[in-house]
This record gives sequence, structure tokens and C-alpha cells, in this order.
Amino acid sequence: MSNQRILFQQLFDDNSKRVYHLCYGYTGDSDAANDLMQETFIKVWQHLDTFRNQSQLSTWIYRIAVNTCLSYLRTAKRRATDELNDHIIENHTEEPSEKQEQVALLYQSIAQLEENERIIITMVLDEIPYPEIAEISGISEGNLRVKIHRIKHKLTEIYNRNERV
Amino acid sequence: MKGFEDLQQLWHRQTPEPNVSFDTILKRIKESKSELAKKLFWQSVIVAAAIIVLLSVWVAVSFSTWTTYLALALTMGCICYFFVNQLADYRRISSSHSLLSKPQEYIAYLQAFKQKRNRFNTRNYMAYEIVLAVAFGLYAVEMYFSVPFWAFITFLLVVVCWFLICHFVFMKQYIKQENARIQEMIDNLGRINKQFHES
Repeated sequence: MSNQRILFQQLFDDNSKRVYHLCYGYTGDSDAANDLMQETFIKVWQHLDTFRNQSQLSTWIYRIAVNTCLSYLRTAKRRATDELNDHIIENHTEEPSEKQEQVALLYQSIAQLEENERIIITMVLDEIPYPEIAEISGISEGNLRVKIHRIKHKLTEIYNRNERV
Repeated sequence: MKGFEDLQQLWHRQTPEPNVSFDTILKRIKESKSELAKKLFWQSVIVAAAIIVLLSVWVAVSFSTWTTYLALALTMGCICYFFVNQLADYRRISSSHSLLSKPQEYIAYLQAFKQKRNRFNTRNYMAYEIVLAVAFGLYAVEMYFSVPFWAFITFLLVVVCWFLICHFVFMKQYIKQENARIQEMIDNLGRINKQFHES
């Protein structure tokens, strides 16, 4: 196995789950999230030789994932987010457990945020350090902290509202 | 009533996981490479075949007027220009490092790229139409001298009608659709770009 392939496999194993969460949070649809995750890693492979150690590899991968998610908007006409998330629940063959329903509701609530908010909050939920989120999203750390505070409040409000319905 | 910490706990207990394996990704990498190569190959074959046909006509048929040769040259020029532009775009996309830029810069790049493609797909098609119309006009000179008058008029009418249909029906429809599509895209990208700039 070539060195590049070994490195790539390592990157995939370490980051695929979090990249998937980011894509899922952004699109609110598991199929689209799988497609975007695949696309992200294909681009990671294609650009692997351009990585210059200016940042961590995970930051670099996240940057590619964020840009891939942003370009998703131009190629896919998104369906209404509510419709998408009903689909998430309906897709379970078994009776969804309470926990599954809560997770689906959480994704539904994230999908109701603005695009940049979805990206930022998914990274916050995955406990990516703030300086890394700032680097990935190209926003200054001070500005980011203000944004995160606002988004946390907004998401909690949306979630509780959706839960009451 | 849940707080953000509860949502975070819920997030960490979630089951949604990717169902794409590493081998699937590797397979897709190989496929995407060969898909692009295949697409480029077939485009090159079609363009080469068209040029060969036109060159053979140039060599094999002895036209009586120079205008026909000029018409052939214009047609070949059009085909080559279109192909070179397509190739340049493929190269630009594959060598672009914009994907690694900050999101707002990447969005700006996407907007510019889409606008450029839109110009290419709309304005340049208009230019092709004009050049091809000129080429047919030049060929009509040859027709005038070499075929019966009724055949010449029929040829002229068919060509003019075809160009009018293309211009007023197909082109108008195509440009309208393209402009609407691109405008929606640009608006969406602009909206996202604004989100990243807002404090």
C-alpha cells in the first residue's frame, strides 16, 4: 500500500464521522450527507499533495467539507426542511425510539438555522475547539464567540418549540 | 424544556453514522477520474471527426467560389473555439485551489465562475449563431451559381426558417432558463456570503 493511501485511510477513519455529521446537519438528509461526505473525501484525495502544514489536517479537511456543503446549494434544489426530516423519521423500518426521535428533532431544528449557523453549530456540538472553528469558517475568534452564543440560544429555542408541537 | 447542554448530550448519543466505506470512496475516486477522461475523449473524437469531415469536403470537392472555402473555415473555427474553451474550463476547474480558501472567498469564486459560464453559454452561443449564419450566407453564393433557381430559393428559405426558429424559439427559451437558473444560484450564494460577513 502506498504512503498516500495509508495516510488517506487514516484521515478517513479519524474524520469521516464528524464530516458526516457536518454534512447531515447542513442538509438534514442522510443520503445527501453520505454523498457530500464522499465528495469531500474525493476532494481531500485530489488535493492531498497541496496540504502545506499551515494548519492541522483535520482543519484542512473541515474547510473542504464546509466548501463542499456550500456548493451543494448550487447543484441541488433543496426540498423543504420539514419534509426532509419527516423522511428521516419515516425511513426507520422499526418503530423509532424516543432517543431517535429526539435526534431527528435536533437535526430538524438545525436545518431551520441559516446555512452558516448550521455549519458552526455542528462543529460546536462535535466539540471542535473555537480557534479551529474560526479558522475553518474564516471568521475572527471574537466574532465567532458572539455568533456561537447567539446560535446556541436560537437552536435551543427552535428545538423546544418543535418539541412542544 | 431542554438547555443547550442537553442538546449536546443528545448529539453525542446519536446513532446516525455514515454508511460509506473507505473502499467505496477509493472506487469513486477511480471512477471520477475515468469518467472525466472518457468525457474528454468522446468530445475530442466528435470534434476531430467534424474537422476531418469538413477538411475532406474542402479537399475532395472543388467549389467554384472562394466564399464556400471561407464558410468552411468559419465553421471549423467555431468548432475549435468551442472545444478549446471547454478544455480550458476543465483544466481551470481541476487545477483550482479555491476549494481550500475561506468559505466567503470560495463563494465569491463560485459566483464569478458561474457568471462566466453563463456568459459563455448565452452570449457566445449568440456569436456562434451569427458566424454560422454568415457561413451559410457565404455558401449560398456557391448555391446561386451551381443549382437551379428554385433549389436555391428553397435552400435559402429552409436555412432562414431554421435560423429564425433557433433564434426566436430555442435560443430565447434556453437563455431565459439559463439566466433564471444562474440568478437563483447567484442570489443564494450571495445570501450565504453575507451570512459569513455579518457580525
